Order: sequence, then structure tokens, then C-alpha cells
Amino acid sequence: MRKHFLAFVSLLILVSMVLTACGGKATEAPATEAPTQESGYRHIKVGMVTDMGGIDDKSFNATSWKGVERAIQELGIEGSYLESQQQTDYATNITQYINQKVDLIITVGFLLADDTAAAAKEHPDINFAIVDFAYDPPIDNVRGLTFSIDQAGFLAGYVAAAATKTGKVATFGGINIPPVAAFMVGFESGVNYYNEKHGTSVEVLGWNTAENNGVFVGNFESTDDGRRTAEEFMSEGADVIMPVAGPVGLGSAEAVKQHGDAWIIGVDTDWTVSASEYKDIILTSVLKNMDVAVFDTIKMVASPDFEGFHGETYVGTLENGGVGIAPVAAGAVSDDVLKELEDVKAGIISGEIDTGWSSYLASLSN
Amino acid sequence: MHEEISIRKARALGIAFIIFGFAVLALFLPGTAADQTTTFTFNLSSSEAIEIPPLTVGTRMALYFTALLSVALGMWQLAKGFKRVYLVLTFVSLLFVLAFLAWAAKGKSMNLTGMLQSTLLRAIPITLAGLSGVLCERSAVINIGIEGMMLAGAFVSALVGSVTQSYWWGLLAALLAGGLFGALLAVLAIRYKVDQIIAGTAINILATGLTSYFSSRYLQVHQELNHPPTFQPISIPLLGNIPILGPIFFNHTLLVYVTLILVVLIHIILFYTRWGLRTRAVGEHPRAADTLGINVFKVRYVNVIAGGIVAGLGGAYLVLSSVARFDELMTAGKGFIGLAAMIFGKWTPFGAFGASMIFGFADSLQTKLAILSVPIPSQFLLMAPYLVTMIVLAGVVGQANPPAADGQPYEKE
Repeated sequence: MRKHFLAFVSLLILVSMVLTACGGKATEAPATEAPTQESGYRHIKVGMVTDMGGIDDKSFNATSWKGVERAIQELGIEGSYLESQQQTDYATNITQYINQKVDLIITVGFLLADDTAAAAKEHPDINFAIVDFAYDPPIDNVRGLTFSIDQAGFLAGYVAAAATKTGKVATFGGINIPPVAAFMVGFESGVNYYNEKHGTSVEVLGWNTAENNGVFVGNFESTDDGRRTAEEFMSEGADVIMPVAGPVGLGSAEAVKQHGDAWIIGVDTDWTVSASEYKDIILTSVLKNMDVAVFDTIKMVASPDFEGFHGETYVGTLENGGVGIAPVAAGAVSDDVLKELEDVKAGIISGEIDTGWSSYLASLSN
Repeated sequence: MHEEISIRKARALGIAFIIFGFAVLALFLPGTAADQTTTFTFNLSSSEAIEIPPLTVGTRMALYFTALLSVALGMWQLAKGFKRVYLVLTFVSLLFVLAFLAWAAKGKSMNLTGMLQSTLLRAIPITLAGLSGVLCERSAVINIGIEGMMLAGAFVSALVGSVTQSYWWGLLAALLAGGLFGALLAVLAIRYKVDQIIAGTAINILATGLTSYFSSRYLQVHQELNHPPTFQPISIPLLGNIPILGPIFFNHTLLVYVTLILVVLIHIILFYTRWGLRTRAVGEHPRAADTLGINVFKVRYVNVIAGGIVAGLGGAYLVLSSVARFDELMTAGKGFIGLAAMIFGKWTPFGAFGASMIFGFADSLQTKLAILSVPIPSQFLLMAPYLVTMIVLAGVVGQANPPAADGQPYEKE
């Protein structure tokens, strides 16, 4: 009896060790050799460390890597990535790049924030950039890459208000935190701006900026909750839904696909690509163009007169292409609306149109 | 089967009904204008039910009506006393909720059928988790690995369903995966007498790790491995056409009907068959059961494996009947809420189902309130299900006793 038990336990330990061994090894991409060309930029070495999503996640990591690839092509730099399979890989992978003496280390996602900060403070001579995060107070040799997603949300709201037939559009979030609310605040302002311009009275369900309150499922995992929430929105007559809750929104997409007669607005990446099975019901997507931010950073470091970040933060906007919306589904809105959309975009860039984000932030701190 | 209750409790309930009535007036009346109306709608585009027109009522009228009815019922309870007072308590609670909804949706409209349908659908995975718990714990094996078993079922059903392009194979694989994890728990808990809480936790960690790893390695990269066909809703002829009740109960996928049947079936098995009697005996007093020639180990093995299979079904439901894909940690605590439903329901199938319905209702109510933009912060609304649980546990259910031998390994002498 006891012997069996011991055998069993040792087997379990063995299996878990094998599994850990498989998982723990970081995969290294072959460093892509730059095409030799005179670009006027320094031939720097760039290393990117992914989070656990992996390089093929069709989201944060994949989009960030696209930025590095573009820099390899256009600036003639040298770039590679290390995939993290588990949280303990973050620090290891960063250290590996430090030992290789690369010029710039890009870490993807707020999960790497602590490890990046620790490494950056220890090696003030190496440049770091972290996607979708900014330190407060800033660290001198780290560039935080952030995004004014409210501007893109505004455009999505404008499109949604134009596309709705029932006069009701909806949005919901995972948890009521500023990175999530930014989408929703912009969205509501966009709908209101459309109403103002066209004398319509399209209603936003699920978010109210003035009251800082709306529909939240309370997590970023339960796709089933996403489906149920979308169904409730549809039973109240909404026909455009923007879920700001990561994969939870894919449950909403499934609900729309089954019941029909409604649109989904994707977030972060272009869902007609990243969730292609739902491409027929995607109205547009609110994009965080991490590749643009990453490319911009590499270009900065590679330029001959670069003298350090000085704790500066990159903010992606409609103007610099750091945020935007994906092409609107064909036939969903009239050509006139698409033309107006360009004016709206110009208005946001020039500051004539207010997305409501700064006043929302101010109301939070009161 | 009405329970005898003490005079004191009867009086307290009568007073409670009257307080409910006055609470409706005190809480909801002040903010309501005389000319405001509330509109309830009942039709769902997805159902085949006969459409019925919306019902518009004066909000104040509705408040007065529900308040008066509660007070009247309270007075009757004090004067004469109802025979089935808990039924009346349920009714009064519903009245209170109705008054609340009329107030929340004043000047607007709300779809009642949609909310109730959502209640049932949200309750299904929780019910299955609860049933899994009932099966295991009635034979005295604590199963806190339900969450992990559901995750495993969900993962496998997505993978196998996609590869074979058949939801039947997906379902079968999920049941098998659940059963295997059930068997693992059984071996650890019964044969090796590992602490059952630790064994269950280990299963949760193992299932979370395995599914997350393989999901991010394969399912998220190759979308064709994560795109199973799903069970489609079947509208039951005639019954499905009844307004309100049709969409709520009779227009669902096969897995929903199976869950409802399982509730009844497990109740019958536990309380009206020889196997059920043995299971309960093993759960209450294994030594006595053993003396009478019952194979304690066999009863526990079968029940725990069956419990695993039911949990696997819960995972399969989430994928094959709801969202058609697997994502990391998609069960999001439903297995644990199912355990709470089981305790709440006093370790009975109907109790667990009822508790799940209350959780489901609280969940869809909070969504509805947020859609109506009722001025209550979302964080408080998200607490509602747990608040309801505590109130009902403390107020109505009272003490809940687990099977006497729950969690204790059995050692033959």
C-alpha cells in the first residue's frame, strides 16, 4: 500500500518536472539579419520580451513584434524576441538580453512592469520600453508606451450611432478601471456627438460617464458572462455592442452571431483578423496600434542624436497613428458618414472636439 | 409537506411582510413622480413564442399595489396564519423585487422575459457544479476540484469538438475528462486517504495549468482547433409557443434540458433507490454501512466519478451550448459558486438548483439594473448575489448540516 503510494507520488513529481522543463525553456527567435542599406540610423540591437500570451497571440505580443519587424526592414536594425512561458521567465529573459548588451529592451504588457522596473534601475545604461504601461514617477531610462484610446473609442461611438437601426447602442466592461473606462467614455461622447450633428437621439446602454457607472461583468475571463450580457442588451433593443473585457467579448460575439441583427465592435486589435470566425458581424474595431508605438521608440533610439529617454512617455493618439479604428464593415453606414468620420478625426486631433476623457479623469480625483 | 414553525417565528414573518410593504413605500415612493410609468415588455426576437403587447403601468400605482398586498398578507399571517408560510414569503419577496423593478425602470421599459431567461441560463453551469458536489459529498468525499473538472471538460470539448466537427464527440470527451479527474480525486481521497481539500486543490491547480498551457500553445494559435460546432436551441412544440414561459423554459439547447432532468433524476436516485440509500448511509455512518455488507469504497468511487462526469458536463455546457470556444480560466469561479449552491441547498439536488437560480437571478438583475442605469455603483451590484446568499442562508435556511462523515477517509478495521 505505502509502496504504491510512494511510487505514485514519485510519478507525479516526475511528470510535473518534465512538464516544467518543457514549459520553462524560453524560445529564442533567430536574430533577423538586417538588409544592408544606408539609412542614416545606428545599427542597434533590440530585444523584445513577450508576456505569457506568446508571440502568436494575435494581440499585444504579435502587434508589438510587428513594430520591431518594421524597424528591421526600414531602419536596418537587428531585432529578436524571447517568449515567456511563465511569470518567472520575465526576469530571466530580460537578464539574457542585458548580458547580450542590446541597446533597447522592449517588454510587452503591464505584467512585466515590476521586472522591467527592477532591471532598469539596476542597469541605467540600457534603454527600456514597456508596452501599455507608464511608471509614476517615471524611470529615467524607461519609455512607457501608452494610448489615448478614448479618441478611437469616440470614432467607434460615432460609427455605432450611424449604424444602429433601433436607436440603442451598448457597451460593457470587465471591471471599472480607467484603462477600460477610457473606451467607454470615448464611445459615449462619440454617440452624443453624432446625435448633436444629426438631430438623432441614439441611446447608450451600459455606460454613463456623468455617473461613472455602467455594466461590468466583474472579470476578464468568463465568456459565458459575455454572452449573457450581450443577450440582455439585445433583449432591450440594442443592435451595436462594444465589449471591453478581453476574451469575454468573444462570448458576446457568439450571442450576436446566433441571434443576428446586431453588430459587435472589437477592441485592442482588428477582430476581423484576430477573431475571423466573427468577421461578418464586426462593425469595426477600436485599435491600440502597439506596432506604431514600438517602431517610434526604436526609431528614436536608433537615431544618431539620441541621448536617452529622460523618463519620457509615448502617448498613442489619432494624430500619430498610435490609436485608430479598423475599416468599417462594408455597407453598414453610408459614404457620407465615412466622410464625416474624417472630419471628426481631424476635429479630435486639432482639439476642437472633446472626447470627455480629461473631464472624466478630473471627476475621478474629486 | 409543510413544516411546523413556532408561533414566534410565525409572528416574526407576519411582521416582516408588513415591513416589506412599508419599505416599498418608504424606499421607492419619494423619488417617483405621479405621472411616471413603467413599461414591461415580454417578447424575445430569438423565440417562437406568440408575441404579447407590452404592459405599461403607473409606477406609483404599482408601488401602492405591491405595498398594500404585502401589508395585507402580513396582517392575515398575524391574525390567522398561513399554512405554507414559506411559499407566501417567497411571494412577498417577489412582490418586493417587482416593486423594485417598477421603480428602477420608471420612465423606461424593461424586458422581463429576457431577464428571466438569462436567470435560468446563468444558473445552468452553477447547477451542474452543485449537482457534482451533491453526488460526491453525499458519499462523504469533499470535492473542491469541481472548478478544475469543469475547466478540463470545457477544454476537451472545444478541442475534440473542433477536430471531429461534432458536438457529440466533444460532449463525450468532456464527460470522459470530467470522469477521469473524478477518478483521480477518488483514488487520492479513498485509496491514499490524502486530505480531500488538498487533493481537490491539487486538481484545480493541475487542470488550470494544463488547460492554460495547451490553450495558449495550440488553441489560441490555431483557431481551427478552437471552433467547435454547438448545440442549437430546440423549441418544444406548443410549450415553446407560450408567451413568457416558452422562451424561459422551452426554447433551449439539449444540454439545458438534460441539466433540468438531471436535477430530478439525481433527486430520485438519492432518495428513492437502493443505491441512494447506500450512498447516504456511507455518507452518514460508513462503519454501520460496512457492517451491513455495503462496499463503502465502491459506493464512494462510483459517486465521485459520477460527480466528475457531471462537472465535465458543466464545462461542456459552457463551450458547446454557450460560447463555442475555450479561453483560459473561462469557468471564472462557477465551480466554487456551485459548491456554495450545494451548501445553500442543504446537499439536495432541488436545493442546489434553487440556490443556483437565486444566484442566476441576482446576476441578471444586477446586469439589468446597470443597463437601466440605476444609481447604484457597479461594485455594489456585483456583490448582490453574495449578499442575497448571506441573507437567505441566515434568515430562511438556518443551520445546514453536511453528511456526518463528510471529508473523513474510511479505514476498514
